[in-house]
Amino acid sequence: MYIFQNAMQNLLRNKGRNLMTAAIIFVVIVSSVVALMIYNTSNGVINDYKSRFGSEVSLTPNMEKIIEATQTTGALVRPTIPAEQLIAFADSEHLLSANLAASGKGWSDDLKAIDGEKGGGGGPMLSAGPGGGPANMPDGMPELRQYFFRLLANQYDDFENGNRELTEGSAFPEKPGECLISQELLENSGLKIGDTIVMNSDLINPGSGPGDESYHDIVFRLTIVGTYLDLTDEYANSMMENAFSNRRNEVFMYFNDLASEVKEGLMGIDVGATYYLKSPELLSAFTAELRAKGLEDVFDVTTNEASYQAIVGPVEAMRGISLTFVIIVLIFGAIIIALLSSLAVRERKYEIGVLRAMGMKKGKVALGLWAETLTITALCLVLGLAVGGLAAQPVTNLLLNQQVEAAEQAQAAATPDPPGAVTVQGGGPQGVGGPIMIGGPIAGFIGQSSAEKITNIDVGIGLNTVVQIIVIALLLTSIAGLIATRQITKYEPMKILMERN
Amino acid sequence: MANILTLNNVSYAYEGASKNVLQGMSADFETGRVYTIIGKSGAGKSTLLSLLSGLDVTTNGAILFDDKNLKKLCRDTYRAQQVGVIFQSYNLLTNATAVQNIVLSMNISESPERDKKAFAYALLAKVGIDSETADRKILKLSGGEQQRVAIARALAHNPAILIADEPTGNLDKDTEDDILHIFTKLAHEENRCVIIVTHSKRVTAIADVVYRLKDGRLAVV
Ligand SMILES: Nc1ncnc2c1ncn2[C@@H]1O[C@H](COP(=O)(O)OP(=O)(O)OP(=O)(O)O)[C@@H](O)[C@H]1O
Ligand SMILES: [Mg+2]
Repeated sequence: MYIFQNAMQNLLRNKGRNLMTAAIIFVVIVSSVVALMIYNTSNGVINDYKSRFGSEVSLTPNMEKIIEATQTTGALVRPTIPAEQLIAFADSEHLLSANLAASGKGWSDDLKAIDGEKGGGGGPMLSAGPGGGPANMPDGMPELRQYFFRLLANQYDDFENGNRELTEGSAFPEKPGECLISQELLENSGLKIGDTIVMNSDLINPGSGPGDESYHDIVFRLTIVGTYLDLTDEYANSMMENAFSNRRNEVFMYFNDLASEVKEGLMGIDVGATYYLKSPELLSAFTAELRAKGLEDVFDVTTNEASYQAIVGPVEAMRGISLTFVIIVLIFGAIIIALLSSLAVRERKYEIGVLRAMGMKKGKVALGLWAETLTITALCLVLGLAVGGLAAQPVTNLLLNQQVEAAEQAQAAATPDPPGAVTVQGGGPQGVGGPIMIGGPIAGFIGQSSAEKITNIDVGIGLNTVVQIIVIALLLTSIAGLIATRQITKYEPMKILMERN
Repeated sequence: MANILTLNNVSYAYEGASKNVLQGMSADFETGRVYTIIGKSGAGKSTLLSLLSGLDVTTNGAILFDDKNLKKLCRDTYRAQQVGVIFQSYNLLTNATAVQNIVLSMNISESPERDKKAFAYALLAKVGIDSETADRKILKLSGGEQQRVAIARALAHNPAILIADEPTGNLDKDTEDDILHIFTKLAHEENRCVIIVTHSKRVTAIADVVYRLKDGRLAVV
C-alpha cells in the first residue's frame, strides 16, 4: 500500500529526527528486555524452587509448655507424636509432598553381619560387653539386647547425593516384605538376590528404668530385592565400631512393614516425617488440620521461612526489582513516546495539512505516522533484543550478587546459623533408639535442605520474553498512534495551511 | 454546458472575525469553460477558492457540486478525486521530490494509471520540468519550478475542476503561455471547469467568463 511506501520514504527523508526517536525507543526496549529477562528467569527459578522444595514444616516441642505441663502434673512430660498421627498428617491437600521414614533395629540368623565379631550395639545400655546378643543372654539377668542391623525405611538421602548406589537389577523395596541390603552383606551371608530371610526386631518397654525393661518381639520375613554399594566409610556415622553402626549393615525395608509395628509407649521403631507445604501461606490451615487430627498442644508447627528466604530471597528481591524496573520503564517509555509522537505531529503539521489538502483521509495520515513509528520500533526491537540479551547476564550477576550479599548480612545479623540450616528434632546421628523420639524428621531423611543457595542464574531470552516485549512494543507504538490520530483529528487542513502562509 | 459548481447565497466569516469576507454570493461554474476571478488584494479570492475546493465550508448558504451540497459530501474524497488545486503558496511536500509529490497525489486519488512514475515524469515534462529537476527535492527548486510542480500535481489525477490561485505569478511569459495553453485545452477539449484567480491581464485574456470579487460578491465583468 502506498501509505507504507510513503512512510518508508519519510523515514529516509527525516533521518536526523528518526535516529533520535530510534535511540529513545531503543533504550526503552533494551531496558525492558533486560528487566523482563531477569523477571522471567527469576520467576522461573522461584517457581521451580517452590515446586521442588516446597516449604518445610517443623513440628517442634515448645519447651515452655513442656515445663509448664511438667509442673502442673508433677510427672515428666515426654512429648511424642504417635506414628499413626505422623502418617495421618501426611495425607493433606495443603502439602506438596510428605516424606515418611522409619527406623528400627534388628538381628537375623540368616544374615552374617559385617564386622559381626566386633559385636552389636544399639541397645538401651551400650555398656554391654562384646559378643552379647539376644540369643545368648544369661538366664535371670535382665536382658541386654544388642542389635546388628539398622532397619531403615524411606531414607534414601545417600542414594540421592551419590554416597550409595543400587547395583544393577536392584530396586528399592516397594511392596510389603521386600528389602534392600548392601552388596557386602549379601556376599558375606552367601545369599543372592531373591532369597528370603528372617529378620528379628523388637520394641522395648522401658518400665521403671534400667533393669526393668521388657521386650515385644517382632519377626519380619523379607525377600531381598536388591543390593546397594556403599561408597563412604563404613563408620561414617558413628564413633563406635560395631556391627550395628556399620553402614554396610543397614537394611532398607518397606515403610509400612516397619511403621505398622509401632506401639504406643514402646520404643525401638521410630517414625519421622517431613512435610512440605505447597506454599508458606498454608501454614495456619495445615496447623488447624494437624490439631484436628490430634496433634498435641505442646508442639509448635512452624515453617523454615529463614531457610527459604536465604535460598530464594535474593532471587525474589531481584524479581521485585526487575518488575519495578519494567513498570518504570514502561511508564516512562509510554510518556516519552507519547511526547515524541505529539511533537512529531506538531512538527509535521504542515506536511499533514498538505496531505489532508490533497484529500488523504485522517485515518490514513495517522496510519502513515503509525507505520513510521512501528518500523522504527521493529528495527529497535531486533537490535534491542540482541543488545538486551547480551546485557542481561552481567546485569543479573550484578543484581544477584548484591542481593545475596544483602541477604547474607541480614542473615548474619539475625542468626549465627548458616543459611539453609535445618531444624532437626529427635534423632541426630545417635538418634535411632534414643530414649526420646519427638517426631520431627530423623536426620538424614530425604529432602532435607538439599536446596542450595542460588548464587548464579543463567538468564536467556525465552519465547515468553520475546512475546512480552513485542506486545509492549506494539502497545507503545499504539499509544503513539492513538495520540497522533487524536491530534490529527483536531486539525483542519485549511487552518494548518493558513497558519503556514 | 452543465453546471458543475453552484453557489447559493454563500457567506463566509473567519472564526473570530466580526466581518464576513464573503456575503450573499451566488454564481455558477460550468464545465468546458475557463473562469478567472479578479479583485483587490484581501477581497477574499483565496477564501472563495478554499470553499470551492472543499478545504473549508460556508458559514451560510450552500455550494453545490453536481447538485449535491458539498457540506454533505465526503470532502476528502472530493478533494482527492474531483478538484485539482494550485495553491498560491504551492503547498508541496518540501522534503519529497517533485515526482514523489505527484505520485503520492495520484495514489491518494486512487488514480488507475499503471505506471504512475512514468506518468509523473511525462506530466512534469509538459510543464517544463526535466527528469533531473523532477528528482530533486522541492526545497531545492526555484519558485517558478515549484509553481510548475504544483500545477502538474493539480492535473495529475485528471480532475473535473481545476482551481488555481495566481498560478503563473512566478513564470516568464513563454512558460506562462504554455501553462495557459494547457488550461484552455483542458476546458475546451476535455470539458473541465477551470477557475483561476489572477491579477494578470494575460490570464484574464483566455477566460470565457471573468468574475470580479467585490464586497463579498461575484459579478460578471
Ligand atoms: N485565517 C484568517 N483569519 C481571519 N481573517 C483572515 C484569515 N485569512 C484571511 N483573512 C482575511 O480575509 C480577507 C480575505 O483574504 P484572502 O486571502 O481571501 O484575500 P485575497 O483576495 O486572496 O488576497 P490576495 O490577493 O492578497 O491573495 C482578508 O482581509 C484577510 O485578512
Ligand atoms: Mg489570495
